[in-house]
Amino acid sequence: MLSVEHLIKNYGDITAVDDVSFEAQAGTVFGLLGPNGAGKSTAINCISGLLTPTAGHIAVAGHDVVKDGKAARAALGVVPQELALYEDLPAIDNLRYWGKAYGMRGKELEDRVATVLESIGLADRAKDLPKDFSGGMKRRLNFGCGVVHEPKLLLLDEPTVGVDPQSRNKLFDLVEAHRDAGACVLYTTHYMEEAERLCDSLAIIDHGKVIAQGTVAELKAQLGARDALQLQGQFPDGAIRGAIETLVDDIADLEILGQAEDSLLLTLSNASQHLPAIFAAISNAGGNVTETSLRSPNLETLFLLLTGKELRE
Amino acid sequence: MNFLVASVKKDLARWMRDRGAMLIWLGIPFLIGGLITSMMDSGGASPTAKLLISDEDGSFISGFVVGAYGQEQMADFFVVEQVTAEEGERRINDGEASGHLTIPEGFQDAFLNETPVTLTLKTNPAQTILPGIIEDVTEVLLDAGFYLQRLFGKEIQTIKDANLEGEAADVFTAAISVQIRNKIEGITRKLDPLAIELEIVEPPPSEPRPDYALLFLPGIILMAVLFSSGSLAADYWVERDKGTLRRLVSAPGALAGFVTGKAVAAFIIMGAVVTVTLIVGFAYHGVAWSKFLPSLLWVSLGGVGLFAWFSALQMLFPNARVANIITTVLLFPLLMVGGSFFPLAALPDWIANLGRFAPNGFIVDRLSGELVSATAWSISAESWLIQFVITASGLVLSAFRLKTGFARR
Repeated sequence: MLSVEHLIKNYGDITAVDDVSFEAQAGTVFGLLGPNGAGKSTAINCISGLLTPTAGHIAVAGHDVVKDGKAARAALGVVPQELALYEDLPAIDNLRYWGKAYGMRGKELEDRVATVLESIGLADRAKDLPKDFSGGMKRRLNFGCGVVHEPKLLLLDEPTVGVDPQSRNKLFDLVEAHRDAGACVLYTTHYMEEAERLCDSLAIIDHGKVIAQGTVAELKAQLGARDALQLQGQFPDGAIRGAIETLVDDIADLEILGQAEDSLLLTLSNASQHLPAIFAAISNAGGNVTETSLRSPNLETLFLLLTGKELRE
Repeated sequence: MNFLVASVKKDLARWMRDRGAMLIWLGIPFLIGGLITSMMDSGGASPTAKLLISDEDGSFISGFVVGAYGQEQMADFFVVEQVTAEEGERRINDGEASGHLTIPEGFQDAFLNETPVTLTLKTNPAQTILPGIIEDVTEVLLDAGFYLQRLFGKEIQTIKDANLEGEAADVFTAAISVQIRNKIEGITRKLDPLAIELEIVEPPPSEPRPDYALLFLPGIILMAVLFSSGSLAADYWVERDKGTLRRLVSAPGALAGFVTGKAVAAFIIMGAVVTVTLIVGFAYHGVAWSKFLPSLLWVSLGGVGLFAWFSALQMLFPNARVANIITTVLLFPLLMVGGSFFPLAALPDWIANLGRFAPNGFIVDRLSGELVSATAWSISAESWLIQFVITASGLVLSAFRLKTGFARR
């Protein structure tokens, strides 16, 4: 349904998206994960036709978004990160308007609008103005406007930013319902738990590059059973590294992923069992630990291990 | 077409909710028009100068001077009241009149004997224009009196000395009249052939002479149209801030319907504003109603052209604030040269010629012609075509700006 090949987008000397490639199939949710500024929204904008790629090829339902943009956009639905609503038009008129923008009319349109209103939980507020809605209700209507024409590919750009937990769960249900109806969903987020819940496959993106890609299970497998151990304190450079390396004989998969004067990032299996030995080695080397953070294997850990930094930094 | 209609309905529904803006657009022409009309018309009456005259001579000649202020056209301008010298002095000091003229005793004798005599004219310092007019008219009368004395001094002296009554007076008057007539004919023979001919051209009866206040009407209407078109054009920035433009450019082939829909909605909104102002203007000035439809269509079409170009202009700037400032800065020179503050006919030629090329001045100029023409639909096909091209090119430019970056930011 969606094919992105060697996508590059430059803004002058800055490369926002750097040789990104991935494919997403119908009936699946594909996640694009990365911190703010990683290039996710730029990639989405290239796919939706808002931006023209500097290089590369994007096809939606078999149509090139540059050469055959009209056909490609006809298969697309976009739920932008920011709200895109007429707050001075009733909710039902917002849905009708965007349905007509995609060529819907008559009974087909009215039936679809009624279905969407029901699914986003706004059937009883259909004639109210969105400016009187809560933030969560506006988010749901924003979602409804993107799916009213039943797109084959739905682009969701961080749809849960600033949304309360109840509305967030409602949005998850809507995404899953859309996927179950056979659509392909491209979902960008910097919340790993959302990706783990929704995405069948995903790409992790940082500084415009894809640094890991696969199904959630495949990506977790890259971690194996290793935990991420992040320590804060004082870590004199040469002495600490030597001390940690002496532990490798006892802890086979211990690895130093990052070290600074005040932080140390390690990965190892069953980290909790080895904490006393690690603390002793650090203390003997003249360092001290003031704060410890232990994470079991998940996507967030993977991002940390791949980039050496928190996903939400 | 389906999306075009939806876009028109969408914008109409949104803009009609902003009733404050509608009231302002309507209020501007009524406020300005009301002020100008009250200044120009003053209820239909011309300003008049009250002149107090104290005739202390009470002679035939002084009576002639007093009567001269009430002759023909001067009677429309002067209200003459004969008073005693004391009353005249008191009333002019109290500001009850524009001027007080004192004709001294012995005026007639001095006039006939060609000896110096002084007429005293005291004017009201609180007034600026009317006393000046009284001074000018009095000087002209005295000049006329000088030439009258030169030509008919002898006859006037004879009338003064005769002091006859009854049939003898009639015979005497007839004889003097013959003498005066012979003298006039003699002068006429010397002046023939006349070097100058004065031809008074009256407009044909089918062309009613427009009143001056009517000349303000087109400019006032365009003032409302300019304000409304500038405000409506800012809606592109509103839509961009709402994020709806980004959603729009993701939809296939919706851009043309969106831009055209805004233009049609602007046409309807401005048509409503223009309809109200034209109805009031036509009714007040008595303009033929057959000119209503062409005037309405012309101004509404012109309004959409202004809207389209304001839109394209606004989309050139980096943010809404700068766009609004530039639009406002541009608005006032356009109003000035385009005949909204002063009719084009009242502007200096070079400004008026410049104004006729301004987008609003072009509309004002043709509308003025339509309002004062003998028949309706007097705006030329060429003018309609030019206006269509201006409007269409503004819309194309707006769509181009939307597509090439404005909607994508």
